[in-house]
Parts: sequence; structure tokens; C-alpha cells
Amino acid sequence: MRRNSVPTPPASRGKGSFRFLLTVAAALALAACSPAASTPTSAPTPASTVLPTLAPSPAPTITLPAPTPTATPTTLPTTAATPTTSAITITDDEGTTITLPGPPQKVISLTPATSELMFALGAGDRLVGRTNYDDYPPQISSVPAVATFQGVEMEKVVNIGPDLVLAGGNGFTSAADIKRMRDLGYPVLVLYAKDVPGVLADIRLVGQAVGEASAADSIATSIQSQIDQVTQAVAGLPAPRTFYEIGDDPELYGPAPDSFVADMVTLAGGDALTTTDPSVFSIPVERLVALDPQVIILGDAAYGTCPDTVAARPGWESITAVKNGDIRPVDDTIVTRPGPRVGDGLIALALAIHPDAALTAPPDAVAYCTASPSPSP
Amino acid sequence: MSTRVAAAPVPATRSGLLESARRRPLALAILGLVLVAATLVLGVALGNVSIPITDTVAMLAHRLLGWPVHVTWPQSSETIVFELRLPRVLTAMAVGVALSLAGATYQGLLRNPLADPYVLGTASGAALGAAVALLIPVQLAFLGLGLLQVLAFAGALGAVAVVYRVSRVGGQGSMTAVLLTGYAVGSLLAAGLAMTMYLSGNNLRQIFFYLLGSFAQASWPQLLVALPLICLGSVVIVSRARSLNAMLLGEQTAAHLGLDVRRERLILLGAATLITAASVAVSGLIGFVGLVVPHLVRLVVGPNARTLLPLSAIYGAVFLALADLLARMPGELPVGVVTAIIGAPFFLYLLRRYHAGYEL
Repeated sequence: MRRNSVPTPPASRGKGSFRFLLTVAAALALAACSPAASTPTSAPTPASTVLPTLAPSPAPTITLPAPTPTATPTTLPTTAATPTTSAITITDDEGTTITLPGPPQKVISLTPATSELMFALGAGDRLVGRTNYDDYPPQISSVPAVATFQGVEMEKVVNIGPDLVLAGGNGFTSAADIKRMRDLGYPVLVLYAKDVPGVLADIRLVGQAVGEASAADSIATSIQSQIDQVTQAVAGLPAPRTFYEIGDDPELYGPAPDSFVADMVTLAGGDALTTTDPSVFSIPVERLVALDPQVIILGDAAYGTCPDTVAARPGWESITAVKNGDIRPVDDTIVTRPGPRVGDGLIALALAIHPDAALTAPPDAVAYCTASPSPSP
Repeated sequence: MSTRVAAAPVPATRSGLLESARRRPLALAILGLVLVAATLVLGVALGNVSIPITDTVAMLAHRLLGWPVHVTWPQSSETIVFELRLPRVLTAMAVGVALSLAGATYQGLLRNPLADPYVLGTASGAALGAAVALLIPVQLAFLGLGLLQVLAFAGALGAVAVVYRVSRVGGQGSMTAVLLTGYAVGSLLAAGLAMTMYLSGNNLRQIFFYLLGSFAQASWPQLLVALPLICLGSVVIVSRARSLNAMLLGEQTAAHLGLDVRRERLILLGAATLITAASVAVSGLIGFVGLVVPHLVRLVVGPNARTLLPLSAIYGAVFLALADLLARMPGELPVGVVTAIIGAPFFLYLLRRYHAGYEL
């Protein structure tokens, strides 16, 4: 339950150098914060235009095969055993079943991934609340923020009166906030994908919840085709020992075993070097030197970590990746965010691991390395 | 000091005002109750969704006093006021009462001006309980309380029970022994807390927020469980004001006055610990209130427990409810930070002013 979260770089606010930052980082997890460009919402992924053969969605009343079918329903199904034509019954990633009377018109999204997804599904106009760290697509800024890193601002939620809340699992949205919203009578769908197939399942789940199942199918299908492209492109290549650096302040952070990021690295044709335990995100430099990565990917590039600063770290000169100069930045908002652009993220990551792979860089895969955020006096 | 006071006439008159307040505790109590009512209205009227104050007052009159007011406000406003803000303000007030009374009691019993409700290990015990609860991946609900509240409550009570037992081993069990044992046990529990935090991975953030204290999760079910405990303990403490006065003279003197020192001490300690535990269970650790409010009141009205205790309770409620209001206006600061930021300078000011005549 507490496992597998993907921490994000503690980034510029890491001055306090205290352990709790690690958890804050873990909570930010899939929500890294850097602006990414382009890709209009009408065409969520490049591949979606290539794949028009999608059956129209079946009847909107669908009960998904839930990960944990032993669910406690928060809302009882509507009186009749045969649901009304428009009722939607779904089970979320924590096994909670909710029933919506029809496609929700006022949706609050409490993770950047689901906010993006709402727009990608063409339901952005029904998004009425978001977190204040959502950053994509640009239209998101016109949606009022109802949550911060500290938690959900419950008064604002009540003021809006949502008919669906999309929350993040594994502590992303705090359990107390989720319980409170359910107590107040709002249906809450908790989403937590621990690997890439889980992201596809979540995209379909949200699609069903908001009555955009066919759009969700087409997004999921196009992501799957991107995954297939990557799999093909890296199939013959040797998998280098790859360290995906999530953050370096105050400690070095990397993917935990079995985590979403580790799964991404593996899919992208790398041999993922991880921490020792699913609940540990920091990795001692000694361990990293002993594991000797052949490629270092900088997921924290947007927060001031550059290949040359990495190469200059004391003790790192013996690492193969440093010797060969195989240190490459990526845009972590598409690589680590389990949203509709995860296919782009995978391609960007695969290209970072295998620069010569036969893949086309996604249009909005912006890899950058900005100067250190600390202002000089 | 004295020359400065003589040179500045304005503080002198103000001190005269306080001087007259000192002799009129009843007036202070009435003023305090008016402030409680004002804070209550302010607390439910303000928040990060703006609701017209006329609507708020009308809602309160309609729902609480049963006045036939025409309903002109949206349902969502009513939910915000009655399901979110009202339980929050009332919880802050109840916790303010509890912490202030517990602080005054511990200070008197231990005859130590630095004593606060957390001095005997309550804080570390509660925090350890809460941290352990966060590590247990089971969602238990019990009377509207989560496992966190239950274990925090148990941790606080357990810590003091251990301190009390251990301090009595092999001796008279003087209050100095209790204080020192409390320090030792508290340190041990704090180490356990640090260890738990180190191992907690993802839950570290929640533990951290618990340590800072907050009323953001206040709800009716929680309040309705905590309130009877706080009321019970408070009534016990206030009704034992005479015992506390006798204890201030020293335990031997109190015994010579005919007081059953052991029994009274146990009752007062038990009641203060009970209300502290109930408070930390619903609000986390909020520092400063229990230390400073009794001192503030004592500075103004003197050390007599019979006035000190009721006034501490009233002003504790006002102080913490106002601090919480300030904490949530900019968007959820930890309330403990606010209590310290407002309380510390004010306390320093009063200390300077009353430097000479202070006694515990």
C-alpha cells in the first residue's frame, strides 16, 4: 500500500535538508513541476491520429474488472437491480466502488496527471477544480485551484459541489482528505498506477467515469502503440545499467524496486538500478559507485542538475557513465507523470538511454538543464 | 526599569488599567465570554471561501437559536459553516480550554513555571502513538475516530502512567522525581518517534503535520468524542482549585493543612493528563498555549487557582480559536507556529511589565 511511490526531486525547496522532504517528495511523486510545451489537447498523442480504427464505446454502464474486487461501496447502486441507462458504476484502484447517476459535469482533479487526462479526454470544460501545482495543458490555469501540497482546501470543494473527485492513491491525496470528501457525500475515485499497464487501466477507468470511454480507449491504444514502438526499437540493443536520478538534494534519490520509474526504465531498454527496498528512495553514493551505471538519466535536470555538475561530483569519476559522458537530461514531467503523455515520456526516456534507437523524439519532450535555482546575492 | 516607567506616563496609565483588572476577575471573565462569542462568530464567518457575514449570522440564528430567518443562502454555504467551520472553531476552543487548564495544573503541581501540558511525556507518547498508527496499513474507524487518534490518546495516557509509576519506585515520589522521570521517559519516547519517522517512508509527511498540530481535520464525530473527556477533566480540575492552592505552598505544608496530598495529586495529574490526551488526539501537538496562557492570566490576576483556572480556560479558548483563524486565513499554516508568533512577544511584553511582582 505504501510502496512504489515515485519520488520527485526535492528540487529548489530542499534547503531544510530534513528527512520529511523525502516524503514530501514522494507525495509530489508523479507530479513533477516543469512546464512542457505544445501538443494541443485535440490530438493528445501523435500516434492517436494514426490509429483511427476504434470501435465506438459500448453502453456507458460498465463495471470494470477491479484490481481488488472486494470493495466497500461508498454509494449503493441505484435502487433497481438493472441500472438505468446512464448510471456509471466503477471500482477504483483501492477497491472502492462508486456509482454515478450519469456522466459527471463538475469534476475535481487532485493530481496533475488526471488534470491533464481530463483535457486529453476532451472533458476539460467539465474540470472545475485542480491542484495549484498542475501545469499542463496551458488551459489548466483557468481552472480554480482547490488543493495545495498541504492538502485539499475543503471549503472550496464544498463551494463547488463536485459530482466526481479524482484523487491520487498511495498517500498522494491524504487518506483523511479522501474520507472527508466521502463523508460530505462526494464520489471520490482514487487512482494509483504502480506500473505502465496500470496507467493505461487508469486512463480507461477515468474515461468510463466521465463518460468518455472511447476517447480514453483511443489514448490508451496510442500509448500502447508507443510502448510497442519502443519495445521494438530497443529489442536488439543491450540494456545498459541505467540510473534514473530523481533528485540530489539533500541526498541522492533514485527509483525504488518495482516502482513506476523503474518500470519505465526497464521498458525503455535499460537495466534499472534501484534502491534496496520499495519504501526507500534515497540511494547511498557508495552503492551507486558499486553498481557502476553505464547511463545516468537526470530526471532532476529541470531543477538545476546538469551533466557537468554530475561529472564533477567527488567520487563519481570512476563511474562508467561519467567516464564515457553518458549523462543525459530528460523532461521528468512526462517521464514520471502517469498521465496521457506517458507514451511520449517513454520515448524520451528510451532516446535518453539509447540515443541511436530508431525512434522519433516526441514534439514536447523538452530536455533541459537550467542554471542552479539558488539566487546569487 | 522604574525610571523608564516614570518617564513615560502612557504605560503607567495602562498598567493602572491592568491593575484594576487584576482586582476584578469577574469583569475579566465576562469580557472573556464576550470574546468567546465574538471569536465564534468570526471563526465561522471567515475562511477561504467568502460567505457574507450577514448570511453567517442568519444561518447561526436559524440553525442554533431556531429563529425564523428566511433562507437566502446556498446549501453549500450552510455545509461550509456547519460541517467545516463550526466543528473546527469549537474544537479549537475545546483544545484551548484543555491545554490551558492542563498547563496551569502542571505548573501548580510541579511548582515549575516551565511546565506545560506536554512536560510529563504526553507529547512524545502521543506522537509515537500517532506515528505507529500511520505505519499500520489498516483503516480502522472507531466512533468516527481513526486509529491515529486512538493510539495518540493511548500513547499520551500511557506515557504519563509510566512516568507516575516509575517515579514512585523506591521513594516518596516527590514531584521533582515525577518531573525528572517525565523528562527521561519523554526522551526515550522521542527516540522511538525519531526511529519510527526514519522508517516511515511515505508517511513521514503525515507524521510531520501531526507534530505541527492542526485543526484542518476537525469534524463533529471527533469533537463529540473529545468533548466529554475534556469537559469531565476540566470540571474536576476547576473544582479542585483549593487543593491546587494548597499544593502551591509545598506538599508538606499542604499535608499539614489536612490535604490528602497523594490522592489530590493523583486526581489533578489524572485529569490534566486526560484532557491533554484528548486534545492531542484531535489536534496534534500544539505548543505554547498550555505554557503561556496560564502565565498570562497569572500575570494579570495573580496565582490564586480559583480565579486562575476559570480565566485560563476562557482565554485559552479565545487564544487558540483566534490563532487557528489566523492560521487558516493565508491557507493553512501550522497553528502551533501562529500560537508561538503571537504569544511569545505578548508574553515577553507582560513579563517585562510585571517583572517585579511575579510569583507562581
